[in-house]
Amino acid sequence: MWQNSYQLKQGTESAHLKIIQESNLKIAISAEGKNLDSRVGQRLGDSQYMLIVDLETGDFEAIPNPRGSGQRAAGIQAVVLAITKEVSIVFTGYCSPNARKYLADNGIEVLTGIVGTVADVLEKYKQGDYQEDEPADAEIETGGFQISRSYLIETIKKSAIQFGNLLPIFASVILLIGLFNSFVSRELLSSFFSGNPILDTLYGAVFGSMLAGNPINSYVIGGELLKNGVGLYAVTSFIVAWVTVGLIQLPVEMAALGKKFALARNAVSFIAAIAIAIVTVFVLNTVRGLVY
Amino acid sequence: MPDKAFMALKNSGEVVIKIITPLCLVFIVILILNLFLKPSHIAKFLGREAGMKGIFLSMVAGVISIGPVYAWYPLLQELRKKGVDDFFIAVFMGNRAVKPFLLPIMISYFGWGYAVVLTLFTILGSIFVGYTVGSLGKNAVSW
Repeated sequence: MWQNSYQLKQGTESAHLKIIQESNLKIAISAEGKNLDSRVGQRLGDSQYMLIVDLETGDFEAIPNPRGSGQRAAGIQAVVLAITKEVSIVFTGYCSPNARKYLADNGIEVLTGIVGTVADVLEKYKQGDYQEDEPADAEIETGGFQISRSYLIETIKKSAIQFGNLLPIFASVILLIGLFNSFVSRELLSSFFSGNPILDTLYGAVFGSMLAGNPINSYVIGGELLKNGVGLYAVTSFIVAWVTVGLIQLPVEMAALGKKFALARNAVSFIAAIAIAIVTVFVLNTVRGLVY
Repeated sequence: MPDKAFMALKNSGEVVIKIITPLCLVFIVILILNLFLKPSHIAKFLGREAGMKGIFLSMVAGVISIGPVYAWYPLLQELRKKGVDDFFIAVFMGNRAVKPFLLPIMISYFGWGYAVVLTLFTILGSIFVGYTVGSLGKNAVSW
């Protein structure tokens, strides 16, 4: 079904459209009436009806477009309708950028500037007239199918925004990590580990949670701790927690993935770090005991 | 004290330089995914019913992902919004602890027996964490 949207944009001069017979190629057409000879509605949100046409069977249904109390409400209704009816393409005269984006996020393409009757649209579609939706755009060939330049630019912008939203918090996290790594010396860490294996494993996980960065550093610090007499249980929980639990990154993780998820994942990972440490060292000791 | 503060800043600066490359890579990955990945794909491969395929995919992705974890949050956020189950996100993050190209270093510090066993239990641990977090998400009352 996804493939169809891109088939439409694959314009070559001598194109003939092969309608890919996917099992659920449905399209929606804004209309001013409920018949095939009704004129295409000129505004997605404001048209009297939306005709849902099943291209495989040729059946169609005319759904009255609920007019909300304001223009925006009506537009949303139309968009939601298209999504719930699982159409692949919407044909209309004009569609607002927000509505277009929302539909695009749900895998639905919007073709605008459509005039004539519904029957005209269907005829033109079958003849492949709608391939030249954005004739002015250079087509960028990408691994087998083509994407129009405006779509690419739009997507780059969208990706950059997603990315940029998290940058400010990144900055503070990075600064904090630098601070921590500089002020917490190895001697300081070693002095915490008293020798009690249970407590040490716990402390190991705690310190691992507080620190972050390249795992290599955790191996280096872990090695130093070992040299200073800290037990392997603690060093292991330290190494695992270093990567899987992040107290300093927690605000960013909560912002990005949700408070519930972030807290749950970190809490469970903390416990898992301790468990992994215990099991790993235990297994190693047992195996060594058997071998030697 | 100002000495240490300067060192801290320097450390942060080094971190920034170190993560610029992975960050760019992540941005490109986000871009590519936005371009080609539709919600229906996500649902098929990594939605609730994805099963073994999904577990394997997220495990591999976690293992090969480079850079600090916070560079990957934007991508994970998008995937989650598009319907990837929490289970797979957690498995991905847990498997980031497994880094094949760092194994030699781990081995030189701790021996290869340790490296193998730890890797094994880290992977198992990630599935446990994923399962727990995933089911917490499904069954918990929102808090």
